Amino acid sequence: MDAEGTWRPRLTSRARLKFDSVARQEMLLFPEAALVLNETGAAIVRLCDGARSIDEIIDELAKKFRGADRDTLRLEVAKFLASIRARGLLQ
Amino acid sequence: MNSAPRPYTLVAELTYRCPLRCLYCSNPVDFAHTREELSTDEWRRAFSEAAELGVVQLHLSGGEPMLRDDLVELIRHARGCDLYTNLITGGTLLDEDKLLRFHDAGLEHIQLSIQGAAIARAEIVAGVRSHQKKLEVARLISKLGFPFTLNVVIHRLNIAEIPELIRLALELGAQRLELANTQFYAWGAENRRALMPTREQYLRAEEIAVDAIAKYRGALEIVFVQNDYLSGEPKPCMGGWGRGYICINPGGEVLPCHAAKVIAGLSFESVRDRSLAKIWRDSPGLNAFRGDDWMLEPCRTCARKDIDYGGCRCQAFMLAGNAAEADPICRFSPHHSVVESAQDDAVNGAELIYRNAKNSRRLTRPVADR
Repeated sequence: MDAEGTWRPRLTSRARLKFDSVARQEMLLFPEAALVLNETGAAIVRLCDGARSIDEIIDELAKKFRGADRDTLRLEVAKFLASIRARGLLQ
Repeated sequence: MNSAPRPYTLVAELTYRCPLRCLYCSNPVDFAHTREELSTDEWRRAFSEAAELGVVQLHLSGGEPMLRDDLVELIRHARGCDLYTNLITGGTLLDEDKLLRFHDAGLEHIQLSIQGAAIARAEIVAGVRSHQKKLEVARLISKLGFPFTLNVVIHRLNIAEIPELIRLALELGAQRLELANTQFYAWGAENRRALMPTREQYLRAEEIAVDAIAKYRGALEIVFVQNDYLSGEPKPCMGGWGRGYICINPGGEVLPCHAAKVIAGLSFESVRDRSLAKIWRDSPGLNAFRGDDWMLEPCRTCARKDIDYGGCRCQAFMLAGNAAEADPICRFSPHHSVVESAQDDAVNGAELIYRNAKNSRRLTRPVADR
């Protein structure tokens, strides 16, 4: 894997995002489990397209969630991506 | 129950037919008496209805689901319903052409079983020549880029192989490895004396697995499923009866788990007769152990009742004679001594009872004769 600066995260082939029409929420599906995502989580996963760097993901989020502090966003994104990467869902 | 909980997972046991004879098989011991399997249309309807109820995960299981000649069609329909579609297979009937067709139909994940790391021991457990073929298929799955889980049921005969199994999973390119200690139901219960490891073997295996889980995090997800008898803790079976899981057996009966028909006196309904939504909400069998009104002491006043739901209903029935009792795995169960004596019964060289139609008919009678 690349260092954080050049990493352009994307979901691995065993994970996919699904809009769950029962709970009207985004869900991350993967073998044997599903993760219900809040609005921020869903926005982050949608930006993990293999083209954007972490910095670019944070830029997009800062535009989407106006008024959000960049450092807070950076921490939140790092923590969230680390948690789903540890489950083997990001590359 | 006024409102049934939302189910997330459907286990579709497409058939009980299987080329393997595994000693631990979870199919009912009376499988040979099963009547007609659901048709393609009936399964399609069940998948659609499951998705409407909120199911997001589909496991196409068996027996060996590859023995259904409509598997491509069923995968395509499942993906049309936006279900995360997993094939649970022994692998012996897979080849590149079939894998490519499954991929085109939308299959998302494959769970492949092997019976051990050493070929001779693995084939004693499977009851047929199969190990080499499974390894070839695993490499093929990996080459084609399918996400896959390697599943190994762990017991007395292969429990010392865990380090080799981890190496094998890495070499084969699996992303997940399930080290699933035998669950002692159905054929696993028939073979309990032969399959139960010693306490020392189990604790050693658990230690190795726990270390490996941490070591390979992010590269290989290792899941260690407990041996109930040796873990000392009742499991929150299926996350609670009739809560998150639906199992539909080959004949269409809607069950809370694949083992539930072992409990005498419960009635289950078939998707042939009613919609899945109505069955899920109203089925007497599914409602029998929802909530906690059914609980007896010591469960009723136990602080853990919302954590483990009293353990497993099937195990309570099998070991205590009453499905509403605490799972005897629990040390507070008045029947707990049964669990301890089961460990003493286990021996090397116990008789092996293979899962086949002949043994099924020898051990059970048709439903109508009971």
